[in-house]
Amino acid sequence: MYMGKWTRPGGEAAPAELVLRLTAIELLLRPMGPWFIKPVILLLAGLALILPQVLRAPAIWLALALLVAGRLLADWPLPDNHIYLLAYWCLAAGLALRAPDVRPPLALSARLLVGLAFLFALLWKAVLSPDYLDGRFFRVTLMMDDRFAGAVMLLTGLSAEQLQQNRNYLQPLPEGAELLHPPLFVEPPAFRWLAGSATYGMLALEAAIAMLYLLPWHSRFESARHVFLLAFCVLTYAFAPVAGFGWLLLVMGLAQCNPEQRLLRFAYILSYFLILLFSEIPWADLLVQGLEGAR
Amino acid sequence: MALALAPPALLVVVACVQIVLTHRTGLTPWKGGGFGMFATTDGTQFRYVRLFVDAPDRSEELDVPPSLEELAARAQALPSTGQLERLARAVAAREQRKRRPAETVRVEVWRIDFAPGTLQATSRLLQQHQFHVHGQMDSTGR
Repeated sequence: MYMGKWTRPGGEAAPAELVLRLTAIELLLRPMGPWFIKPVILLLAGLALILPQVLRAPAIWLALALLVAGRLLADWPLPDNHIYLLAYWCLAAGLALRAPDVRPPLALSARLLVGLAFLFALLWKAVLSPDYLDGRFFRVTLMMDDRFAGAVMLLTGLSAEQLQQNRNYLQPLPEGAELLHPPLFVEPPAFRWLAGSATYGMLALEAAIAMLYLLPWHSRFESARHVFLLAFCVLTYAFAPVAGFGWLLLVMGLAQCNPEQRLLRFAYILSYFLILLFSEIPWADLLVQGLEGAR
Repeated sequence: MALALAPPALLVVVACVQIVLTHRTGLTPWKGGGFGMFATTDGTQFRYVRLFVDAPDRSEELDVPPSLEELAARAQALPSTGQLERLARAVAAREQRKRRPAETVRVEVWRIDFAPGTLQATSRLLQQHQFHVHGQMDSTGR
């Protein structure tokens, strides 16, 4: 009897099954942790995908939450923030599966987790960081981070040589040293525009999502919540190399949909797989190569 | 329904602790569960570790060997005395295995700052720690 509380859902779990299944897929797509954690996560996530009784068992999700937390401790302080969010989400799923109706508590946890994650991201960008609001973060990152190179060249017209020259400029010199011919920093108007749009666009979008998810208004702004979250995920994860974060946000957005909101649910699933394609296809690099080949 | 508030509450606690740790220990805002990623250049990409070994007739800066990259990455992300001490001890042990003299190991964590406007890059020492192979240790902060 007591065991049943942990191995069977407390009530109606069918509406949450898709959400749980997509979470299990994420766990399989991005294996994580040291040798004593990774295989167990993969095993549980794989079993959850193929066996409905495993998918719906609260104990499985609580175990996954503990395993992800174990990974956070084992690799401290290196794990990215979405791994923390994943641990909270697995915990939320395990707790919700014990409720008489799984959807409401899961939707509540999802709404607050999304809202709070965006609130803290906003706090860092707008208040705590010394180099975000003045545009330095994106001006430097777009130049230096190789994962953005294709998109930067595609959108700003900078050549690979100019990008390399700018990277040389952004290298610190040993104390007291001066170059005879220091490299110039090439920053075309299109680049300034891109860095500015990324800086303030991201800030505005994160502020809107934090507000929409945390303020206690319900039906009136519900569709706005979904539209902003979907827009954020599709725009951001087309460029940002953190598909795991995008999937998690989409899964938590999906957890807040009613079963009858079919179009919205479809939009979330479509975006989930779009992010998968963004993460696996170097689309910007391929476009740059194609354009160079056509010249 | 009240249990549904537990995961968000945990998020708030961890994120607040992360903010304190960034100020007290130099933890990079990108790590630690506070959602400070993509907010500042003070991430591990713009931090680096320098290792120095001293002994009679030896004073040398070492490259971070592949076997110590993970420890170095941890020290870069969180330059606390504990992390630097672990890295320094591992360097000393490696030197001993290679039968190279080492009396003190110094670990330094640096970060690159970019000037507003010009983006001129300068390096700044965040934290350093000295480990005496046969004795005590000492650290100096930021």
